[in-house]
Amino acid sequence: MATVATEVITIGQALPSLVKEISQRKIDAYSGVKPRSIHTDEAWARAKGFRAPLAQAMMSTAYISEMMTQLLGAGFVKGGSMSVAFIKPVYVGDRLTVHGVVKEKRPENGATRVVVDVWCENQHSEKTAAGTASGLVT
Amino acid sequence: MGDFKPLTFDAVQVGETFVSDEHLVTPDDVETYAFAVDDHHPWFFGASPFGGPVAHPTLLGNQALGMRHSKYIVHAGLHAKMEFHFLQPVQPGTRVRSRGTVIDKYERRGKHFMVTEFVTEDEAGTPLVRGQFTQMLLER
Repeated sequence: MATVATEVITIGQALPSLVKEISQRKIDAYSGVKPRSIHTDEAWARAKGFRAPLAQAMMSTAYISEMMTQLLGAGFVKGGSMSVAFIKPVYVGDRLTVHGVVKEKRPENGATRVVVDVWCENQHSEKTAAGTASGLVT
Repeated sequence: MGDFKPLTFDAVQVGETFVSDEHLVTPDDVETYAFAVDDHHPWFFGASPFGGPVAHPTLLGNQALGMRHSKYIVHAGLHAKMEFHFLQPVQPGTRVRSRGTVIDKYERRGKHFMVTEFVTEDEAGTPLVRGQFTQMLLER
């Protein structure tokens, strides 16, 4: 099931970027507040060598998922994939920008799999996560 | 009664398995997740191409990551890699359970890593999400 046509997606196409402000409240909501957590216990995060609580790395996969769903619709929700490496920590107070560039289109079972290079950058233009994501269009 | 041990490189064994508790995906889960990741797509709250609301595709990743807590005391870890394959949409009202297997552990530049393969299924055993995650272990 897909909601977009493959001809409107071109190799090299840059996707509209997303900007995400990382707040402690959102980190807390993501997986709950726990003591001795590098995400929700500032003293514990500092004891582990971090300058502040860290966002869950999985939050970046959600941002990439949002971008891919905007591009591919149902063909990402069912049939989508993602492989991402987390390069640098994301801290509370950071502002992430999520990027994507269409890398490849290839046939798959009567549809087309669209592969996108994806990455997140913090406010210092440092990559915090990078990889590929893909989904299906007809 | 479980014998919960700290999750360390020595304790974790390649081939060992994890299973989560069963969890009922609720509209509240979806709403909380939408707030946390600031993604309020209308398909999460109303009609979608799948006949009703669906959850964010990545919603169940937390259940998969949490499997290790069913056997170990997990002090801290840094997520190094994540792979997802979204096989079926996840709809509120579905009862889900994740199962995982440790497929590798290794040391790189003095740091310890473990790799876990997982699948999350509905109550009928239909796979909804497959994937694997690599965690760097931060031991005490």
